[in-house]
Amino acid sequence: MAEAKTKKERIHLKPKMHNKTVRPTRADRIFQICVDVFMVLMLIIILIPLWSTVTLSFRPNTYIGTYLQGMFLAPWDWSFDAYKALLGNNGFLMAFTNSCKILVGGVVCALLLTIPLAYVMSVKSMPGRKALTTIVLIPYIFDVGMIPAYLLVQNIGLMDHLAAVFLPGAISTYNVIIMRQFFDGIPAELKESARIDGCSEVQILLRIVMPLSKAIVMTIGLYYGVSFWNNFFNAMLYIQNSNLNPLPILLRNILMAAGMNEYVEVSAFGNAPIEAIKAASVFMSAIPMVIAYPFIQKYFTKGTLAGAVKG
Amino acid sequence: MKKKDSPELMVPKPNLRREILRHKDVYLLLLIPFVFYIVFKYVPIFNAQIAFKNFRARDGVLGSAWIGLQNFTDFFNSFYFWELLRNTLMYSFGKIIISLPVSIILSIAIYECTHYALRKTVQTLAYLPHFLSWVIMYGVLFALLSPSSGILNDIIKLFGGTPIDFLSSVHAFPWVVLLSDAWKEMGWSAIIFIAALMSIDVSLFEAAMVEGANSWQRVRYITLPAIKPVIVTVLLLKIGTILDAGFNQMYMLYSPQVYSIADIIDTWVYRQGLLNFQFGLATAVGLFKGIIGMILVLVSNKLVSRFNEGSSLF
Amino acid sequence: MKKVLSMLLIAMLVCTSVFANGGSEKTSAVNPDGTVTIELWYGAAITEAGPIPDDWVGYQILRDEHGIDLHLSVLPSNESDQDVRIQAAAAGNSLPDIFMVSRPVLTRLVDQGLVAEVDDYYALMPNRTAQQYDADSKAMTTIDGHSYGFASPGSVAKNEGLLIRKDWLDNLGLEVPTNLDELMEVMKAFTYDDPDGNGRDDTYGYGAYIESDATLKGYPGARLFPILGAFGVDGLWCLEEENLGLNVYKPEFYDAMVYIRQMCEEGVMDPNWLTYKKDDFRAAWKQGRFGIMKEQNAAYAAESNYAPFDANFPDGEWIIIDPPEGPDGLASVGAYDQNYRIYAISQDAVDEGKAEKICELLEWMSSDEGYYLCGWGQEGVNYVLDENGIPVTGDLGDASFSGPDGQVYTQLRNMVFYNSDVELASRYPTYTTATSGKTMSALTALREMQSKYWTAAIGSGQMPTPNADVQRFYEQTLAEFLSGQRALTPENWQAFLDGFNSIGGKAWNDEGVAYAQANGLVR
Repeated sequence: MAEAKTKKERIHLKPKMHNKTVRPTRADRIFQICVDVFMVLMLIIILIPLWSTVTLSFRPNTYIGTYLQGMFLAPWDWSFDAYKALLGNNGFLMAFTNSCKILVGGVVCALLLTIPLAYVMSVKSMPGRKALTTIVLIPYIFDVGMIPAYLLVQNIGLMDHLAAVFLPGAISTYNVIIMRQFFDGIPAELKESARIDGCSEVQILLRIVMPLSKAIVMTIGLYYGVSFWNNFFNAMLYIQNSNLNPLPILLRNILMAAGMNEYVEVSAFGNAPIEAIKAASVFMSAIPMVIAYPFIQKYFTKGTLAGAVKG
Repeated sequence: MKKKDSPELMVPKPNLRREILRHKDVYLLLLIPFVFYIVFKYVPIFNAQIAFKNFRARDGVLGSAWIGLQNFTDFFNSFYFWELLRNTLMYSFGKIIISLPVSIILSIAIYECTHYALRKTVQTLAYLPHFLSWVIMYGVLFALLSPSSGILNDIIKLFGGTPIDFLSSVHAFPWVVLLSDAWKEMGWSAIIFIAALMSIDVSLFEAAMVEGANSWQRVRYITLPAIKPVIVTVLLLKIGTILDAGFNQMYMLYSPQVYSIADIIDTWVYRQGLLNFQFGLATAVGLFKGIIGMILVLVSNKLVSRFNEGSSLF
Repeated sequence: MKKVLSMLLIAMLVCTSVFANGGSEKTSAVNPDGTVTIELWYGAAITEAGPIPDDWVGYQILRDEHGIDLHLSVLPSNESDQDVRIQAAAAGNSLPDIFMVSRPVLTRLVDQGLVAEVDDYYALMPNRTAQQYDADSKAMTTIDGHSYGFASPGSVAKNEGLLIRKDWLDNLGLEVPTNLDELMEVMKAFTYDDPDGNGRDDTYGYGAYIESDATLKGYPGARLFPILGAFGVDGLWCLEEENLGLNVYKPEFYDAMVYIRQMCEEGVMDPNWLTYKKDDFRAAWKQGRFGIMKEQNAAYAAESNYAPFDANFPDGEWIIIDPPEGPDGLASVGAYDQNYRIYAISQDAVDEGKAEKICELLEWMSSDEGYYLCGWGQEGVNYVLDENGIPVTGDLGDASFSGPDGQVYTQLRNMVFYNSDVELASRYPTYTTATSGKTMSALTALREMQSKYWTAAIGSGQMPTPNADVQRFYEQTLAEFLSGQRALTPENWQAFLDGFNSIGGKAWNDEGVAYAQANGLVR
């Protein structure tokens, strides 16, 4: 299946023209080489630190040597103690569940709020559009900080609700503006013809705009999802019931533990070295996103919009 | 602005009331997000009046006494003010100059790459560093850069050089900050550009090819102009928060020997404001940052709308 | 159209309500069932483990026997995070009934009128006061003549020691260094003469990391106290009659800086010391990177901490040595203070009439029942008593108080422990190391460490803290001297002191001197 897709995309990029005069020139070949070299370079730059973190997470307690040597640690010397300790941690499952709730609730709320707002901002003929844009932009630029936001959450009674973690960030101005930008790019004639057909704005949004905007909705959904998944600060301030703590709180407690723990003789992690625990916790916390990303990538196919316009 | 009017709008100005009525379902659609927006974004701005007050928790926001601009002058007159401003601007401009082009080039490379496996691998791996919190990133950087056990210094020593203490040298530190940020975020910010690239009409390429344009020209005349609106938007949004230079990163990476080049407004506010119950001061600095951001956005928006029609923010 | 909108509305309502798990509504003092709700924000004993489970027997006992409905909330593990969370709650005027708080934050909360005076409440808990709250403890929470919280003993005082690799000394035929000159020689030998005999240049003399604060451990911090101590300038403050004030003003401080700078220049100091965090430092000595360090007793000698070192270096041996003597014959492992954890009561709790119940709770914690339950869990489930009456893990496995399932029941132990002999014996059992078969005990190490000479700086924890800019100036300039960015010359040093004075260091010093004199901290 992957093979088929590649072929299709190749056709897009280098169409076999009916007249055989179009063939890759020297400049084209240099271009491809540059792209490939750049990609390989990027791969190396990304991989080395990631790999060093991966091997760190498998480091046995008795490891001696530099980080450089550690990167070449043979897989049969790997220790899974860090992962075992994390999964065995009695707070982990609870925190993971809470995080999942926040993720799902947050993304649903955020998209339900962001899509209409961004769409309305892209309706050019609407009176008051400029005022709306200004109203939306001001809070983005004036980030008034922790306490004013804290007082709000407290006053509307959100304290100690999981929703307090995602609701304050459920409309991110940045995401709204980006999404509007994409809605703006949808050919006006499409919407216009729908209007002439007697569609309401809601119908246009649902039937015309949304099908054309899968990639951006997915992207913005991912942006929201990751920001809620990683949100440490809101959870620290607004969640007091320890049973509602999400994963970032637990991870932070793990990462910062050595700073506070007077009773260093007891560790919740048994044999695993703390560096390995830290590294492993990153991968554990990235799992849902790592799983989600390939699904989102599916919507990233070339010429999505163009194809739709034609069809 | 006037030039921008599309033919559609050239028709005699319609009756405003009728226009509003015509769009009533649009306003209805706006209702919930708008109310939400007002509650969650504007109520805190209302609470931000503590910037002009001597905030006492027992008196609440409304009950605290007004003190005028005292909190602002405290900030402006603080010992390190100019240095903080300089460092903050240096890092935020540096990040725009380095990270933005890197992520654009990366997205184009991913788009143009014809090796399926290579493209998928890079696309899938590039965004992973975004998940490393700065606490972890410190560990990664330590493993790479520490003078006596870092990978980079091991390599330097292998070639007979003297190890460099990247994290505590004032010369190397800014580069560590800028490059580590670029590394961590490039794949993540590229996602938005990739999404933009995906909506390019591929028939344009075919047409260009027929006309004999080579790949470089294609990128130059089709790809870049097509994603320019998104680039400009991202740039303008970044300029709006120009005085946020990355608190979490700096807080994890800095140490006393590099304070002179590492302390930024946000780290100062954290130490002086948030850890010291000086919330009026902290809020005042937030407002100050907003005013600067506002001015910069207005100016650059003006410039953008003069030179590039249709890609300005508002 | 309407259908879509109403669907949107319903979806949003569902979203917000489904994920809204019962908030903590403000209650009146007495609940309908006659119990009093007490909200307690505590510092967890094992921060990386989960919170106390809901089936903890303590909840039931408190409800049935004392009419207390206890609500627990764990504070973040990091001190700055704790400060932020407490102060945010304070700004919202919604502090919990009783909460752990650091002294600098307490001072600000008192200033805001958010914390209650507790002078009269000590009498309500005679048992606990006798066990935990002595005069020093009360001084720790006293601000302008009133006590604003209960300070329980923290870690044992003088629990660190200067350690050296005995096996390295033996390999190189060296003696234990007794003064700074000999120390420098040993450090050089450890760095350049391949003390571990592995043929590689991968060892250093001294290992450290920056561990400083603005009360007891001034920059460059506690890991270098034995060096600073040789010059008589260990600790941020000098609380002796003669030189009362900040140690940095003493001429000897400059000499100590010169010595440390020399350690860096000679290459005998692990060059990572400026970038190490505590974990990195601890991982480093377990990998045999350096031969001299200052380390905490349990971090060095407790079974799980010593195990990796033992496996890596079965022949390796650390010994606790006397601090080296300086040019004037001075020597000290470091400055020490009594450590406390302060639990403050909010003014609101007192206004709601909860103070007596809070005292009842605390007194229960110090009763035999509460003490063992909070400290070790349930007898027979989480611990068993050995023949000396010491709680031990026995063969309880994972449910024991140090096992993964049992340890969460001991999260409150910092509120009940007071460093009694029973606690120490239980926490620091004697064991045999797995690889080399040595007999070790963190308690023996502790006693030996405590027997060395220390500089008393009792009360440092109460001293006024500087403004953030003053603190930055102080730390930054010293760091620049040590890292070589700023040449360490008498002229530059004088310029530093002048600059420090003018930015507010003088005022800080004067404030501290006045505070020390007024509160009887001067010896």
